[in-house]
Amino acid sequence: MIQLFSVSKKYGAFREALVDVTFRVAPGEFVFLTGPSGAGKSTLLRLLFLEEPPTSGQILVNGRNIGVLPHSQVPYLRRTMGVVFQDFRLIGRKTVFENISFVQNVLGLPRAEQKRRAYHVLKRVGLHHQMNAYPDELSGGEQQRVAIARAIVNEPTVLLADEPTGNLDPVLAEEIMRLFVEINIRGTTVVVATHDLEMIRRMGKRALTLERGRLHDPDRIREVAPIVREAPFLPQA
Amino acid sequence: MVRPRYVFAEAWSIARSSPRQTAAAVTLIALALYVPGLLALLSRNLSRLSTVEAQPVAVVVTLQEQADAHALADRLTQDARVRQVRIVGSAAALERFRRAYPDLGAALSELREAPFPPSLEVLLRAGAPAKSASEIASAARLWPGVESAESGEDFERRFRDAVGLMRNAGIFLGVVLTLAAILTVASAVRLALDLHRDEVGIMRLMGATESAIRAPFWLCATAEGLLGGGVALGLLYGTYRLAAHWLAKNPHPILSVFWVGFLSAPAALLLPAVGAAAGLTGSLLSLGKRHARRVTRIA
Repeated sequence: MIQLFSVSKKYGAFREALVDVTFRVAPGEFVFLTGPSGAGKSTLLRLLFLEEPPTSGQILVNGRNIGVLPHSQVPYLRRTMGVVFQDFRLIGRKTVFENISFVQNVLGLPRAEQKRRAYHVLKRVGLHHQMNAYPDELSGGEQQRVAIARAIVNEPTVLLADEPTGNLDPVLAEEIMRLFVEINIRGTTVVVATHDLEMIRRMGKRALTLERGRLHDPDRIREVAPIVREAPFLPQA
Repeated sequence: MVRPRYVFAEAWSIARSSPRQTAAAVTLIALALYVPGLLALLSRNLSRLSTVEAQPVAVVVTLQEQADAHALADRLTQDARVRQVRIVGSAAALERFRRAYPDLGAALSELREAPFPPSLEVLLRAGAPAKSASEIASAARLWPGVESAESGEDFERRFRDAVGLMRNAGIFLGVVLTLAAILTVASAVRLALDLHRDEVGIMRLMGATESAIRAPFWLCATAEGLLGGGVALGLLYGTYRLAAHWLAKNPHPILSVFWVGFLSAPAALLLPAVGAAAGLTGSLLSLGKRHARRVTRIA
């Protein structure tokens, strides 16, 4: 569960990236975060992922107030969350397997178990045959699927994605969104930031709109929901 | 707790991912440690000369072959400033030299004639006036049977001063260059961290702890320092062997005498140890909190 109470974020004295944002995402919910470029979507995700602290307000993730979390505890909270970026952010000198099993390697999980888990998540994203490939040997869509596999390998309760389909063509974008829906169906709370309104319409999920750092009236988003329900975006088996 | 196996694997991966930078860091550390090492080697060998004779000899009177050494020694002892006169025959001088320089003893054994003339060594009483040695040497030069008389007073002082100066210069250069090595390693680690900045950011986002991120860099820098110290030691030994080889082929009246020993084992092992310490210190300096915060943001 994610809850924000009057969260604001300022850069310097005058630039307000987020202003008095309050919303709640229920456990297991799939939510889009949308708005034009510069609206504050990425900033909001960075706050959720503790990359930056809010200037004011409170953020609760899985019942924990992350604003008062000791710095030493941040890595442990992050391990309960997955994050996917538009530019994939894979480590180029590591293989697909090493990228995915990095945290498990740090934690000292036996290599056989690391491989088992990596194989399992890679199979879910259809890349189990690419375990030993390096990121630059993969296409953009494949790299994004590896990034998703890395984000879900620790079975996070929350998955955050910042413009995950921004660099992909529409066919690949649909594949990626299908994966997110699959992950959501298994119980993970998913928050996807995107400015692709067409995608939001087809997905039929709740959307939160940000404009100039302020959360827009959610009712405006709800009106697209009935259209979506007629043509739901269903995951393929 | 970070697994050692992970730290070693990551450190190796970091070193391999930027081989030129790793080689540059190792080379700079090696050069920084080679120079003071060379001065230490020179200082050690020069010190041997000054410590061959523990008791300082004030005057050395070289005698002619037919001279009566005992009569001349008696004459010298009549001077109130003289504490003792030692008669050193040709054979004794050769034997003493062999003991002091065992490496050169074999070469001398091939000589048919004793290379050192008989001599008298004059030791002064404690508290003898400053110019006593040169006055005694001047007087002795006029005596029959005396080939030459040299006061070691000035030479002894200058020699000890020179060795001391070299030792101090070695220590000073050692400290300065070690600090330079630390800063070099700090810069190299900072550069490595900047090169891996995106990776570090990704690791943080994936939930890696600070120790898991930093430990491989610490280990990598320490290993670079250790390797640099090892290379400096190898270069130093190579220089020593090369000089010894050259001197064996081209004997030099002074250099051949003192260039006979390498650094002691503890002194030699100090080079890699200082290198490793420099590497670790440099990496600790470069991975301070300020820099860690700087690489936190990856957006």
